[in-house]
Amino acid sequence: MDDAHASDRALVDAALANRPGAFERLVREHQGLCWHIIQRMVRNPEDTRELCQDTFLRVHQCLHQYRGESALKSWIGRVAYTIALRHLQHKRIPLVEAHDDEGTPLTESVADDFDLEAACADAEIAGHLHDAIEALPPLQRTVLMLYYLEENTIPEIAHITGLASGTIKSHLFRSRLRLREALEARTGVAA
Amino acid sequence: MNHDLPSFDDPAREREWQAQERALEDERAGLDPAADDARAGRYRMVARMLREPLPVLLPEDFAARLAAQVAVAPARQRAGAPRLESTLASVLAAVLLLAGGAALAYYGNTWLPAFRVLLPASGTPATGWTLALGGCLGASWLLGLWQRHAHGPAV
Repeated sequence: MDDAHASDRALVDAALANRPGAFERLVREHQGLCWHIIQRMVRNPEDTRELCQDTFLRVHQCLHQYRGESALKSWIGRVAYTIALRHLQHKRIPLVEAHDDEGTPLTESVADDFDLEAACADAEIAGHLHDAIEALPPLQRTVLMLYYLEENTIPEIAHITGLASGTIKSHLFRSRLRLREALEARTGVAA
Repeated sequence: MNHDLPSFDDPAREREWQAQERALEDERAGLDPAADDARAGRYRMVARMLREPLPVLLPEDFAARLAAQVAVAPARQRAGAPRLESTLASVLAAVLLLAGGAALAYYGNTWLPAFRVLLPASGTPATGWTLALGGCLGASWLLGLWQRHAHGPAV
């Protein structure tokens, strides 16, 4: 067991023993992750607040089931993901798009110029990319956030979402490609 | 990080994947983008935007309030809810017993002769065994009730 797992186990044991401040610390350490996952899934701050609360109540209820086989953040992330997923199912919001663009041909030979710093400074281009991220299906938005912002590995994301690592890789690939194409549509491309 | 994952079957897709991963690594490392081609530049812009922190719009005291809430809830569950349930169950059982006794007192003279005909004649071995069986079942039920009261419900 590495240091991080030992620290997770100690925090869980303290919370289970009702030691003062232990559960509060557990919530404080993971509330950001919980917010990110749920907000990326449901995109409504009011709902996200409520679902974050439900998540930690559920965590408290099931904490005795944490065996320390995965990092505590992955375990809590999975609870948050499951609660957000149920919310989407209840509202009949699809998690992924019905059509599959697996066979879309790639535009590999890009011969245009792209100035990264100028594009990032251009509010219109940045806004366009932001809109393209928001237009992704809930699962792809969440997978991207976990990979880029939370710096989770693909197996960790697979554990959180309950999907196979290959499926996560495929979602990452397709969503990044889509975002690149959205940028090309805005900044121009000469293939 | 994810090197043990199988590669894409299509070489073009695998090259695109490698470009995506390289752009993320370069962005994390803060490398100069001057040498990047347009594809790498766009993937780096994607990485930069996705790595921007999202505002967490939870109240300042979210963790403290939740901790206070769960600290009260188990105590209420341990003490309040089961006590209320057992009190209500006891009251209900007492009401049923009283109602049964009252009904027997008022209408017993009409019912009992009809039941007496159905019962086997007293003094036979069958009556003795039936009474013994009834006694055992009753004692077992009472013992179970006492154990549950003494040790609480099973988890």
